[in-house]
Amino acid sequence: MTNRMNCFKRVQPEVERFAAAHGLSPRCTFHLTLCLDELITNIISYGYADFDEHPIDVTITLDKGCVFVRIEDDAAPFNLLEAPPPELEVPLDERTRPIGGMGIHLVKSMMDGIQYTRENGKNILLLRKCICDDGAPAEPPSQQGGTTWQ
Amino acid sequence: MTESKENGITVLAVDGNLDAEGTQALEEKVLALLEAGETSLLFDFSGLDYINSSGLRILVLAYQRLKKASGRVAICGVRDYIQEVFEVSGYDKIFPLFRDRAGAMSGM
Repeated sequence: MTNRMNCFKRVQPEVERFAAAHGLSPRCTFHLTLCLDELITNIISYGYADFDEHPIDVTITLDKGCVFVRIEDDAAPFNLLEAPPPELEVPLDERTRPIGGMGIHLVKSMMDGIQYTRENGKNILLLRKCICDDGAPAEPPSQQGGTTWQ
Repeated sequence: MTESKENGITVLAVDGNLDAEGTQALEEKVLALLEAGETSLLFDFSGLDYINSSGLRILVLAYQRLKKASGRVAICGVRDYIQEVFEVSGYDKIFPLFRDRAGAMSGM
């Protein structure tokens, strides 16, 4: 896909198709759609200093009970693992950080593994989500966020 | 999106997807209602399939504006997997979440 496309409308049918082919549960499908929507919307909204069309390559695979998502883009370097967490314990009115961190927090909570690398001017993000045999996510979402995996 | 008024509470029933387009429509509707002086808002999400952080931001906007006006915001009918989004974001502690519209009407 590219940064000129409507993110959700491009992503959702692809995830739905993948989920149907592999018997993923509606909840797991929702988690994958939400995470891709949040991450790619961020890339499109904040990643480019010009007005050109840029490719955003997304791959979803299933291997050994885990869904793997790979997002590759040539946007500005952005490592979501270094993004500050939202101030969940601070009352809404007293929060000093912009509310924009919530999307990344949702991604970190719903994925079981996140790995970021910058290679040849590209951001490469690898996400891992474990699923049960019935297609449901293997673990409940945590407030601790994801972990780096090799 | 359907708007109705019951017992002085404005109910916004949102169906389908709160993606970028849906969220924009919701934001315009919420801002118009706040502009018109509404102080009690109930979001009925029993027909909602999808919400992202932009959608949540509209709910927070309504909460922040109405708190200043001694108003109320509540949400009802969310599906299990959408309730999780509220829990993970911590917004379940900010918004009263009711099982259905009748529960919200008596609890708000």
